[in-house]
This record gives sequence, C-alpha cells and structure tokens, in this order.
Amino acid sequence: MLDELFSPASIAIIGASRDENKIGNVILGNLVSSGFSGRIYPVNPSYSEIMGLKCYPSVKDIDGPTSIAVIVLPAHIVPQAVEDCIRSGVRFLIIISGGFAETGPEGKMLSDRILSLIRNSGTRLIGPNTVGLYLPYSNINTTLTSYTRVSFPPPGNIGFISQSGALGLLTMDAISEYGIGISAFINLGNRLDVDETEFLDFFESDSRTGSVAIYMESVADGRSFYERIRRFNNKKPLVILKAGRTKQSAMAASLHTGAMASNDSVFNGMLSQAGSVRAYDETELIDYARVLAYSKRMPGNRIAVLTTAGGVGVISTDYISDPEGIKPLQMARLSENTKDQIRKVIVPYGSAENPIDLTADGSVSDYDRVLEILMRDEDVDAVLVYALPQTPKMDMGVVDVVEKHMKVGKPIVVGVLGYKIAKQLLVEFERRKIPAYPSVHRSIKSLGALYEYSAFRSVRQ
Amino acid sequence: MKGKISQLITTDANLDEYAVKRIISAYGIPTPKSELVDSGEKGVDLEFPVVVKVLDPKILHKSEVGGVTIGVSDQKQLAEEVTRMKTRFPGSGVLVEEMEKGGLEIIAGLVSDRNFGNVIMLGMGGIYTELYHDVVFRLTPISRTDAADMIDSVKIRVFQKGFRGIRVERDAIIDMLLKLSLISDDIGGDLDMLDLNPLIVNGDRISAVDAKLILKQLP
Repeated sequence: MLDELFSPASIAIIGASRDENKIGNVILGNLVSSGFSGRIYPVNPSYSEIMGLKCYPSVKDIDGPTSIAVIVLPAHIVPQAVEDCIRSGVRFLIIISGGFAETGPEGKMLSDRILSLIRNSGTRLIGPNTVGLYLPYSNINTTLTSYTRVSFPPPGNIGFISQSGALGLLTMDAISEYGIGISAFINLGNRLDVDETEFLDFFESDSRTGSVAIYMESVADGRSFYERIRRFNNKKPLVILKAGRTKQSAMAASLHTGAMASNDSVFNGMLSQAGSVRAYDETELIDYARVLAYSKRMPGNRIAVLTTAGGVGVISTDYISDPEGIKPLQMARLSENTKDQIRKVIVPYGSAENPIDLTADGSVSDYDRVLEILMRDEDVDAVLVYALPQTPKMDMGVVDVVEKHMKVGKPIVVGVLGYKIAKQLLVEFERRKIPAYPSVHRSIKSLGALYEYSAFRSVRQ
Repeated sequence: MKGKISQLITTDANLDEYAVKRIISAYGIPTPKSELVDSGEKGVDLEFPVVVKVLDPKILHKSEVGGVTIGVSDQKQLAEEVTRMKTRFPGSGVLVEEMEKGGLEIIAGLVSDRNFGNVIMLGMGGIYTELYHDVVFRLTPISRTDAADMIDSVKIRVFQKGFRGIRVERDAIIDMLLKLSLISDDIGGDLDMLDLNPLIVNGDRISAVDAKLILKQLP
C-alpha cells in the first residue's frame, strides 16, 4: 500500500514560497537539496517560477500524474486543496499545516471535512499537523526544518516513527553526528488517515529495515495496536518510547495531539506481552533500535566484560549484577580453562576473572586473542567490549577485531568512553553496524534490551 | 457474558462475597471452606479458628465498617460474634469461613481498560498493594508464558525459592491466573472489575480469601 510513497515519480509542494521565512520555502529547498530524482512541482498562484522550477497556479494545472502532494497552506483553505488533489489523482497527501483537531471545535470541523473527502477516494493522507517525512533511500526530504539548522542521517536500518515532529527532527540531528542511519523518518501528526500500523506493514517487509523505533503519546485502538505489534515483534524488533506516564504528562499529551493517553501500567504490561522493548527517552529509543537491528539474538543473559580500565569494569559489574533488574543480566562465570587461557595472554597484574582487565598494556592483538577465547566459552552469552582510547596501544584496529568476532560468534556490544579519539571510534563502529555506545550505562542497558527481546523470541518460537 | 458464568449470574443486582466466591470456585479457583449462618446457635462444621464476615452486596469494604472479625476460636465465641453482626447489620447475611494460616498474600484481579479492554493484574497483595505498586498487567486472554512472565515481573518471584519460611509454587499461581483469564473472557464486555485480594499462597495451595466483582451498569 505505502510502497508508492517510497518511490514516487513526482512531488508537488502546494504553498511553495520564495520567501525564505516561509515553511513553503524551506520544504521546497529541502526537497531540492535531498537530491530527489523525480519531478518537483511548486504550486502557488503568485509565482511563475521558484528556485528555477516552474511554479503552477494549482495542482490541477500540473500536466501528468502527481504521486505526492505536500500541503503547506493555512488550515481553512486546506480542504479545497485536498479536493483538488483528489480530483487530480494525487496518491498521497502530506499535510504539514496545523490548526485542526488539536486546536478545538473549529479545527475539528475542518479535520472532519478533510476526512470525509479522503474516505472512498484513492488518495491517502499523512497528517495533518506533521513536520513531514524523510526517506533517505528515496532522497526525499519534506520536513520543515532546513539543513542549516539540523542534520539528517544517512540511509540505514532503523525505521523511525515519531508522534512528535520536533523530537524526531532533533533526534535525527543528534544521531547524524555519529553517522547512525535510518531507513525512514515518519511523523504522522494527527493521524487522520494513515497510522503507525500501516507503516509497520511496510517496515516488516522492507529488507533495509532491521528494527523500528516509535515515539508515541497515545494509541487510537489499543487492542488492534497490540495484535499488530505482537505480530511485528515476531518478525522484527520494535522499540517503543511511550510518553504520558504520569497523570500530569498525560494531560500535556492530550493538549499536544488532541488524543488521550492511557493508563501506563496497562500499557507497560501490553508492551511486554507483545514483545516490545520499552525506551524511556529519545536516547534509549535509538540505542535499543541499533543493538536490535545490528545484533544476532542472545541465547542467555551471561555477560563477559573485557576492559583495559579497572574502574570501568567495576561499574559495569555493578550494573550487570543489579538484582533489581526485571530481566536481570548477570556476569558470566568463566571456566577454569578459559581463565587459564586468558592468563597466557595478559600481563601478570591483569585480571583473568570477569570483568577481564587487560590493563593499560592491553593491545589490539590482545583483544583479538581474548575475544577468541571468550567466543568459545559456553558459559558466555554475550561480550561487552570496552574500546578505551586513553592508552597508545588502542587504535582503530580494534574495530576490525570486534567485527571479525561479532560476525561469526556471539553478540558484542562496545562501550567507548571519552571524546577526542572516542568519537572516531564510535563513528567507525557504527559504519560497520557494530552497536557501540559512549557510556557504561547505555552499553549495559542496550545489552539488557537485546536480552529482553531475545527472550521473547526464544519462548514464542 | 457466556459460558458457566452466565448461569451463575442471574440478577442485575450487585453480588455479595459468597456469590462471587461461588463463581470463582466454579472456575476452579479455591476459596476457604465456609458456611452461611442465620444464627450462631447451631454451630458450624468448620475448623477453628474461623473468620466472621457480614454479607451484603451494598457493603464493599467490610472491615472498614467493622464487618469482619478474625480469629474466632470456638463455637461459643462464634455464637456471640454472629449475634453481634446480626445486631450491627440488620437484614444482612453472615458468612463464616475457615482461616488461612501463614503464606504469602498476593492480589489478582481483572479490570476493563477503556483502551485495551479486559486486562488481568497480579501483584503483591494485602493492605499494601496501593503503597508498593508492585503489580503487573497483561491483556486477556493470557497464555501460560504470559502468566509465568507476570510472576517474574513482581516480587512474588522471590518467594518461589522461599523467603523467611514462605515458599510459593509457581504452577499454583499460573493455574489461578489462567482460570481468572477464562473468567475475563466469559464475562467479556460486562466486566467492570474483579478483585481477589488477598489470595493466600502456601506452597501449592492457593485460596481467595476475599473476592469482589463489579459488573458494568446496564445503560
């Protein structure tokens, strides 16, 4: 159904503008900058040309079919534009404009009018009140924030659906810094027509999408949402950040999108039952989506930690051994044979006990040899590797070593602390689709997410 | 409403504790051995100590109004208690039950969620349920795996290995949850909420000491 949205022949921007302060200018600019290879039609009766593109008075004047129309008009004239688009056979509408059900009874009437036009037409609608879509594999960017203000991530493996446009844009900006890619960014706005479940259908069959991350404030039909995400999780992992957990934030949510939030403890139970890992902020959302997209599943919860800094190993042990964890991880008990082998690699004052400490003497080739040993120990389910750049013996070669073992062996999550060299390491790990995180806590929470999802899949299959 | 429960509920009026316990017993959830009494004179064929409760569909929270006396130790004391209840709550019935000794107090229940429909809850029970918020929900119907996950999600899991002399059998709780899930399905859209609080678990024994059911008001 949505396939055509991802491979449109042409896109019209209704309300395109020459005025750089207008959203209709930014969106047209973004679409041109994103390198979209199809035809772009600015629509505005005031101009004959914008950014060197022929401008049309109305969508009806465009000769040839229009796949997508982005509407950036004042709310009260949107219904007329929608009607024109339907008559012209436009397949998808993306209504950026706000001023609908989220603002009160008058907006609700406009909203109802649009819905009645869309129903029984061949045209589908995303929005209104959306910041737009970003589809990197199709070189389509219809978002309303310019490249001078935020960065957009490269093509990748995470499908990203956000009920908050701003949070989505800023999260994309933040992850772009590390080269973290996405397969699509969807902001559904008021979800008048198309909702999450249809995009889940698309992502489920999309070979480039390894996992999906959703930020949401409410669900319209709880039961069918549950059934849908449960089926999805049996194919691919779906991480959900659900806001409105407390009564106060639930009220804020209803002001924001015109929808009511539901009782959180029920929602939480529903997510576990459906196999979705829950994130509690935008950082966790993408962290978990990455580990789930890049890693194979963990057969159990026993973690071996490999470090060159004792303190990092101790903090990790504290988190991993925390008995309050709902799906607790545990430190792997290494076999005597494993420890004997490790002792032959490391310096005498290092530690062959888990957490394994190579000390500042640990070289990249030591990592290689110890990882080889850990991959063979049957009492280890996954390895947390710290790539810590404070010693001259640590270099980019560690990425090759981790990649080699991760490809053939158990899941590996990498922790990288610091910034100067660490940043380069993180970017390189990401380029190879190895889940790496700039903090101890984030690394371990991500391992926990991987274990939680793995446990769901192992029991259900 | 369908299944067994549609035969057991024949009135629109609220159900008293005895009626609710008959329903859950019919689905195989154990309740304490009990007798309805008119007066204490005839005595009861129960093991002492017993608990004496006022039975009235209008009184939902019995202990708050002095409608529950625990630890009644013999026939003589029972006769006095029954007379006292009858005087205090004229027109109400009296229920006498055997007391559960020791064990872990847990809570299980059903509630109709406006977004997700009927859901089932499990948690640490007794009077502290609201304080600790150690509860977990699932949408009904649940599978055996869901029931096991519920136990693992709350502190009840600790008592499977035993803690301070109290040990609970996992399967006893799982079986109770599956039966409760069946009740949820059979009540369907008529459910408002159902509380089994407390349920007392001792090894493989489980018993619903109190039970409340509220159906949706017919429009």
